[in-house]
Amino acid sequence: MRFTCRTSTLRGIEALPVDVEVDVGSGLPSFSIVGLADVAVLEARERVRAAVRASGFTFPNARVVVNLAPGPLRKHGTGFDLPIAAAILAATAQVPTRPLEGCALVGELSLDGTVRPVPGMLAHALLARDAGPLIGSAQAAIPLELAGLDYRPLERLAHLSRSDVVPTPLLEPEAAPPLQPALPDMSEVFGHDLAKRALEVAAAGGHNVLMVGPPGGGKTMLARRLPGILPPLDDDERLATALVRSVAGIDESTALRGVRPFRAPHHSASVAGLVGGGSPPRPGEVSLAHNGVLFLDEMPEFGPASLQTLRQPLEDGRVVLVRADGRVMFPARFSLVGAANPCPCGFAGDPERACVCPPSVVARYGSRIGGPLMDRIDLCLKVGRVDPARVLDARPGETSAAMRERVALARAFAADAGRAATATLSGADLLAACRLDPQTRAAVESVARVHRLSGRGITRLLRVARSIADLDGKDAVTRDELAEAVAYRFDTEAGDARAFA
Amino acid sequence: MRVHSHERAFMLTLGSPEYPPHLAETPDAPRVLYGIGDPEVLVPGLAVVGSRRATPYGKAAARLFAGWAAAQGVVVVSGGAVGCDQAAHHAAIAAQGRTVVVLGSGADVDYPGSAAALLAEVRRGEVGCVISEQPWGTPPLRWAFARRNRVIAGLAHSLLVVEASLPSGTFSTADYAIAANRDVYVVPGSIFSPGSRGCNRLLRQGAAPVTEVSDLADGLGIIEEPLILAEPSAHADRDTERILAALLADPMRPDDLARELGISIVQVARRIGALESVGAVARYPDGRYGPC
Repeated sequence: MRFTCRTSTLRGIEALPVDVEVDVGSGLPSFSIVGLADVAVLEARERVRAAVRASGFTFPNARVVVNLAPGPLRKHGTGFDLPIAAAILAATAQVPTRPLEGCALVGELSLDGTVRPVPGMLAHALLARDAGPLIGSAQAAIPLELAGLDYRPLERLAHLSRSDVVPTPLLEPEAAPPLQPALPDMSEVFGHDLAKRALEVAAAGGHNVLMVGPPGGGKTMLARRLPGILPPLDDDERLATALVRSVAGIDESTALRGVRPFRAPHHSASVAGLVGGGSPPRPGEVSLAHNGVLFLDEMPEFGPASLQTLRQPLEDGRVVLVRADGRVMFPARFSLVGAANPCPCGFAGDPERACVCPPSVVARYGSRIGGPLMDRIDLCLKVGRVDPARVLDARPGETSAAMRERVALARAFAADAGRAATATLSGADLLAACRLDPQTRAAVESVARVHRLSGRGITRLLRVARSIADLDGKDAVTRDELAEAVAYRFDTEAGDARAFA
Repeated sequence: MRVHSHERAFMLTLGSPEYPPHLAETPDAPRVLYGIGDPEVLVPGLAVVGSRRATPYGKAAARLFAGWAAAQGVVVVSGGAVGCDQAAHHAAIAAQGRTVVVLGSGADVDYPGSAAALLAEVRRGEVGCVISEQPWGTPPLRWAFARRNRVIAGLAHSLLVVEASLPSGTFSTADYAIAANRDVYVVPGSIFSPGSRGCNRLLRQGAAPVTEVSDLADGLGIIEEPLILAEPSAHADRDTERILAALLADPMRPDDLARELGISIVQVARRIGALESVGAVARYPDGRYGPC
């Protein structure tokens, strides 16, 4: 007695098809699983046995061999419970085979026979969109707009015996709330108008930002509000962002509603935690921030090795993990927001509190971030402490909605002009995009001379000025935009001993 | 006494004809001066001293007065420390003037490390000399730096304190200068700035305030047209004028400035950017803008 059904296993954010072949034959009663299965898959034996019994079926008192094909592919996770149980039941003719034909099954079984969702259901669903119907947990959050997907929810293993249940189509979509859920709003930030404006510029051009200021100045508060001024995720971005979260086993519903992710790993994060890793490879924070914001608080306190691994995702928008058994790719296109104290004690340059750090330590602190990473950050904001009196008598500032609207307009303006995200422009493309007239060109030169900007510094200045011009709806960068961009520059050039102190 | 291997090394003994006479007159003058560079610059000069933890204001004041004095041919004397001292030395060299670095360690020791390039340049002898009362190779010792201030005061005709907080080692230099009968000038600072508290106290105790170079010119016997500091009227547009006037009076964050003046933050940012690019104001490490 033999039966084969389909399932899939995860590799990175991709689901790969796997066949589950079950042979129930004569011999000493046994239950074995072969085919490069990891521990979680091998444990399926106990769950399957219990779930089969609890669902009113009998577990065959025979020699049961489960083969997971293709053989060389590593299989991991608990999603094999359901296909193995279904194949055993079908092979022993306890359930009708017709409803299973052509279907893939993915799900974990509880001992009482309930079908549970597994991490990465979205990835399995994407595979099923092309490969045929998918039977999985009724609790899984499958986005209903996945066109062409035939998802068949199964609440309990017992329901496999009722031939009418399996093909039940999904419930009608609830009126999915298209609105962003309550994100923290920019209007709650008092006394940081310049920083808010700078974040607006950064959002318009997709720039990375470094905020420098004493503890308690409001750096984190500002960073948390950046996702709220970015335009909501479009359909492709939603799926891509939700996919990474799904694979990592994190609730993907907010991403599916269009909310940009905000990730703030602690500075003790390991390299694997930041860019992904482990076995099986899991997405890191950079990938969980895909299409959103990665906030690194206390950036100089991160390990130098961890920080330098950010260079590849910042450059390519993805992370490629190379392992002995192959390469795994995770998407990682994010806006980086770094925050740093000006020195270890946090008060260098503070007008009211004296800094206790020796000047040489202050100078070294800024250089910990490292030149190559700083190259990819275009704006530097000084986030000073706000006078308490000004906090108390502050009027509500601009709302995130108003800022988001301007950002969307600026992005549309740039797209209209056929330009890529400003943050990616450089060299001739950047100069062409800025359309400097001779007067402005002279102004750029004089600014570069006064502030001793390197070539890199000039590139940054022009990029930021271009994004400001997009917000202004101007074809060419003028002296106004240039003057504003000066306010967001780094004190000294990255790569110098002192990056921002 | 061992002779140093540096070709420009020299030793001056108290009582010898080469020993600077104005230093010899001071109480407790060093018995021996060890130096590397040009001993001819050991004439009465302007000592410029200030905090190691200098604010941009202190460093700017050190640069302004040291650069100006050096350009007038006055030797600039200071201690080579980070902050105001190094700013003064660099400004003197940039103005093609002469400077004396008085170290607390041996004159051949590179301390502080950040001054190594400066010390090497001065030791070559074209812009001045590095001296110390400590024998060759003496490592930096805490007590020696307080003693060193006595030499700075003694070598100077006048002492200018550009920035000092409370408490500050700069006070000891001022005390030595008074004991040695030197003029003490002080650059006043904001009453709100902790970095200027020491300066303002010296002023209250009777030191002479310096608000422009002509205040120093009389004391140093220099007759020269004074430098003109940035004036608000040099800039056309009305809001820019108001912004510049406000920032020169009191360094401020752009956010506060926008509120005070009722100008939008974007306009403030653009005007400050323009002012900064012509060198009228400067950004401070904490994000405030003020005089440079």
